[in-house]
Amino acid sequence: MAINQVPDHVPPEMVGDFSLFTSPGMSPTPNGDPHAAVACVHAGAPIFYSPCNTRPGRGTWVITRAADQRRVLQDTETFSSHRSTFASALGENWPMIPLELDPPAHRVFRSLLNPLLSPKRVTELEPTIRERAITLIEGIAASGTSCDVMKDFAFPFAVNIFLRFLGLPEHRLHTFVGWARDLLHGDDVRRPAAARTIVAFIDELAAMRRNRPVDDFMSFIVQAQVEGRRLTDEEVRGMGVLLFVAGLDTVATAIGFDLAYLARNIKDQDLLRSEPDRIVLAAEELLRAYPSVQMVRVAIKDIDFEGAPIRKGDYVSCAAMIANRDPAEFESPNTVDLSREANRHASFGYGPHRCLGSHLARREIVIGLEEWLARIPAFRIKEGTAPVAYGGHVFGIENLILDWS
Amino acid sequence: MRIIVHKAKCQGHAQCLARAPGVFKLDDEGYILPGDIEVAEGEQRLASQGARCCPERALEVDATPAARIEPDVDQSRVRRA
Ligand code: HEM
Ligand code: SF4
Repeated sequence: MAINQVPDHVPPEMVGDFSLFTSPGMSPTPNGDPHAAVACVHAGAPIFYSPCNTRPGRGTWVITRAADQRRVLQDTETFSSHRSTFASALGENWPMIPLELDPPAHRVFRSLLNPLLSPKRVTELEPTIRERAITLIEGIAASGTSCDVMKDFAFPFAVNIFLRFLGLPEHRLHTFVGWARDLLHGDDVRRPAAARTIVAFIDELAAMRRNRPVDDFMSFIVQAQVEGRRLTDEEVRGMGVLLFVAGLDTVATAIGFDLAYLARNIKDQDLLRSEPDRIVLAAEELLRAYPSVQMVRVAIKDIDFEGAPIRKGDYVSCAAMIANRDPAEFESPNTVDLSREANRHASFGYGPHRCLGSHLARREIVIGLEEWLARIPAFRIKEGTAPVAYGGHVFGIENLILDWS
Repeated sequence: MRIIVHKAKCQGHAQCLARAPGVFKLDDEGYILPGDIEVAEGEQRLASQGARCCPERALEVDATPAARIEPDVDQSRVRRA
């Protein structure tokens, strides 16, 4: 990773050495806890400049306080999300929609998509989600007293629901997960290759649904109208690609971190198993403790922000994992308290780009935990194994082997 | 008690609804309906908890005595606090 020069306008005393990519605890670590490793930034300045804090090695300002992150993410006239991150990996320039559009254009597309994933719509999907969870977990319970939770439950559960929503063939689950993994965690060869594969796939799917629409997301967007016109091919692609990368494995990751926590904290596990009514609140606290996404914005005008001379073109990072450990906002932020009330964490972002899939994600996490705890007796991390957790652009966990023998 | 709704700040997290479904109503896209909310006597605790769940700070609890007045009471006869 090339380390960039610190720009001249950044005062040397505002340069910090923390990075979500290169700091200790960020690379894949057996029994690692990248979220705890991140919390250390609250001992330092509320805003600092990190010289190497994106995947391509660019510097960003790091906003640590939750209240400041809200200000950045709510102020789209100063902090834009138009960065074409996906397309630029291909040497192209088109936005993922709605993520890389700013208001007012953002609003138009967001309004189109909101009803598809609204709280009401998600309530209708609930029986299907629960049935899927029960089938998988009963299969696991019947076949032994140990499993790889990511491979056997979290991915086939969350990814399948998502594929069904998007209208993608379920039997290709492993192919899609592989693409997403290469895209998010691959090297400089695999990443653009995966990006190209995904674009070609989405374009092809759009063409198919245009010819013969069915009842799914892609058919909806190829037929949809905004401002009295059909969407352009580029807009359809921008939405299809975003949905694919934003929704594919995020829920599985969250469920993985949650079950890892419960495996290591038997008391909390017993409490939720014997009082399942607590799971809704507990799931919020686990979302707060183990978020996976950081938000990055680019300044489109100069601003002096809480003492930081942010200049046009600077990148500004608002990492949910940092905001969620802000002692000014959360009492004892480094303690997981499953009955924490009024838990206004940043895991789904703040401002107009608030995660479109948040209602679905929350439902899936709650249902996944409910059905898992109802069917699997006291479980722990299997002796002799160590889950691997990592930081970076998107936090994640692998090799989570649970045992209930 | 009244909840002041800052509609422009609402980003549709639906956390108010999750906490107090009887108090907070969302539109088809999932954003809060415009207009302040007069909260009935029995729902005040739940309503203020719901308001405190809003990640965007779009909901403000107004517990001043004037806000507790029933809508049909003649305002001119009530002394302001
Ligand atoms: C636990 C799981 C998930 C987490 C932690 C998560 C997190 C986030 C975050 C933090 C953002 C804001 C990004 C930004 O402002 O730069 C976001 C946006 C988005 N998410 Fe999620 N997400 C999850 C699941 C999903 C799912 C299941 C879907 C699709 C069904 C989805 C679709 C989207 C879309 C389309 C956006 C862009 C919204 C916009 O720009 O208006 N997400 N997500
Ligand atoms: S919690 Fe806040 S942002 Fe969410 S729907 Fe309610 S008012 Fe809107």
